[in-house]
Amino acid sequence: MEFEEAVEEILSSVDAEREEIEKKLKEFLDYGVPIEQAKNALIRKYGGGAREKKIKDIKPGDRNVITSAKILTIDEREVEVRGKTRKIYRGLLGDETGIIPFTAWKDFGLQKGDVVKIKGCSASEWQGQPRLSLSEWTIVEKVEYDIELIKMPPKRLNLIDVRANISNVEVRGKITSIERREVDVGGEKKTVYSGIMEDETARIRFTAWKDFELKEGDAIRIKGAYVRSWRGSPQIIFDENAEVEKIDEKIEYTPYTIPLYKVVERGGGLDLLIEGVILEVRRDSGIIFRCPHCNRRIKEGVCDEHGQVDGVPDLRIRALVDDGTGAVDVIFNRELTEKLLEKSMDDYLKMAEDAMDYGIVYADIVDKLLMHPVRVYGDSIQSDFIISIIAKDGEKIKPDVKKDAEELMIEIGG
Amino acid sequence: MREVAWRIFAGEYSEASHIIHGKEEKAPKYVITPMGAKVNRLFVVGVLTDVENIGKEGIRWRARIADPTGIHNVYAEPFNPEVASLLADMEAPSYVAVAGKVRIYEPEEGSVYLSMRAEEVKSVDAFLRDYWIVQAARNLKMRIDAMKEAKSMSTPSIRQLRELGYPLKVAEGVLEAMRYYKDIDIEHYEFLLREALSYISIEKKESSKEVKEAEEKLLAIIKELQGEEGAEWDAVIEQAAKQGIERSIAEEAIANLMEDGIIYEPELGKLKMV
Ligand SMILES: [Zn+2]
Repeated sequence: MEFEEAVEEILSSVDAEREEIEKKLKEFLDYGVPIEQAKNALIRKYGGGAREKKIKDIKPGDRNVITSAKILTIDEREVEVRGKTRKIYRGLLGDETGIIPFTAWKDFGLQKGDVVKIKGCSASEWQGQPRLSLSEWTIVEKVEYDIELIKMPPKRLNLIDVRANISNVEVRGKITSIERREVDVGGEKKTVYSGIMEDETARIRFTAWKDFELKEGDAIRIKGAYVRSWRGSPQIIFDENAEVEKIDEKIEYTPYTIPLYKVVERGGGLDLLIEGVILEVRRDSGIIFRCPHCNRRIKEGVCDEHGQVDGVPDLRIRALVDDGTGAVDVIFNRELTEKLLEKSMDDYLKMAEDAMDYGIVYADIVDKLLMHPVRVYGDSIQSDFIISIIAKDGEKIKPDVKKDAEELMIEIGG
Repeated sequence: MREVAWRIFAGEYSEASHIIHGKEEKAPKYVITPMGAKVNRLFVVGVLTDVENIGKEGIRWRARIADPTGIHNVYAEPFNPEVASLLADMEAPSYVAVAGKVRIYEPEEGSVYLSMRAEEVKSVDAFLRDYWIVQAARNLKMRIDAMKEAKSMSTPSIRQLRELGYPLKVAEGVLEAMRYYKDIDIEHYEFLLREALSYISIEKKESSKEVKEAEEKLLAIIKELQGEEGAEWDAVIEQAAKQGIERSIAEEAIANLMEDGIIYEPELGKLKMV
């Protein structure tokens, strides 16, 4: 093998200066190392045989990967690692061959749309799919050229099956509501169009990063959207890379009972109809007092913000609802609480006054609702350990269990 | 995330012997049942057959709750005196609902005793018991279906099961059960499912007040006479007659107690409490 040939081969495998490679290779040869061995030693030295990989070729278990890609999405979040809070960055990146989720364990200053060369990252398996991990030692360089992203047929999904961090999806739906907003992206003002859309299976929030001239009531098909989590719930995002067309279809969401595992696994949602048994009435249910100025809940007549105040009474229930497949907290406001308990707040205030104990209200809620099946309609809000649903409607239910049992019996051929 | 409360028949829960311990210190423990439930919390509704004080200080209680397939052992622990006192005041037999956590006792490698630690307890009605049976049956059916699907796959995976629409916990539990339990007898659980459901679909005729009152007395008689082997049927009827209960009433009361799963026949002509 000729000297020049070896140098070319090394340079095609690693990222290094020609001058340096020539100098090093000469050094090896001067020591009497055969050229083939010297070549391999240098390839290892400058990146362990790492060759730039296309995204589709990255497999779980790959180490020391070099790749070039465009950042499609990036989210910052805090995680707890051995008792310490640290920031990590998660998102999607892609090239002309594929798209892959990534986690960056330090701030590389990455932004949506950046094209970067990444050296020394590794790939692990997460839920059966490869995921890139950018560690402290990974080198990330922004580059000037652009990358044409892959055009794979998008995955067609119903809105109920949309999950955070999936990309290249195709959805159809009707624009339920839309509004124009100005947002700040890395110091730059951008106009986005966000709102709610629906199909037959769910309602979901969306954000369009481009003016597709959408208006309320439009039925559309979006190809090449992606999904990310917004306040714990999935949100559809689409930008100039997506294809949006208006369609002539009548689309309407009619709420139907959704098993709670779907609500929990997708991270909540809007206008959900659920059924389950109340397995716990949280201790902060019953008569509570709110600050007359800020409406916050006060304790022993003191508002955190406004000090000693004359509390305004309110009635509410926070209860754990579980259907055997998942569990959520449900919050019933005064109006719904009065409906469920068939008693007004004034009645309860009087009851508590007579007994000189607000605990009597809690006891009555437990008596009437604990272990009772209920049906609830509402929107989820983000919370840490459980999904909470703010009820917009709710009722106690008594399904026809004999009929259910007979139907199930037929299903199993009994 | 908050763990779901599984509705699971005693006939399946008591057959479980596989426990998964999480890697982290505070990670939840799960009981993997033969049909792939991955249980950390439970919700059980059934007939309370007896409550007994087992604590030295009178603060730990054990209750037995019968469902159509077997008995759930439920404990109220001293650190939850409210639940303990609720349980202690309940009458047996009566319908009761309990929500709580798995209670695992592993005295040595390879032997596992499973029960339940109560967190919420309430007296309920027959409707909730039937509602519970339907929910437990549906859940079991879903897992039976998932296991059959998994068995038909060349390399079963959580992803494939989820793509078929099964919940993550079910997919995880079913695969774990297939790894651990050898030769799972799916037919046995299909039989159990049918048994439990037939419990509801049979239209029960309303018993007279007289029969209902007799049930309590007969239960006391059986308890007194049963010993190890069970009480002789004839001796029970005889004793009932002495207390002024007619034979036909006594027989109907015994039939009701059996139907409710409070007593059974260990052998023909003998009666015993479950
Ligand atoms: Zn205030």
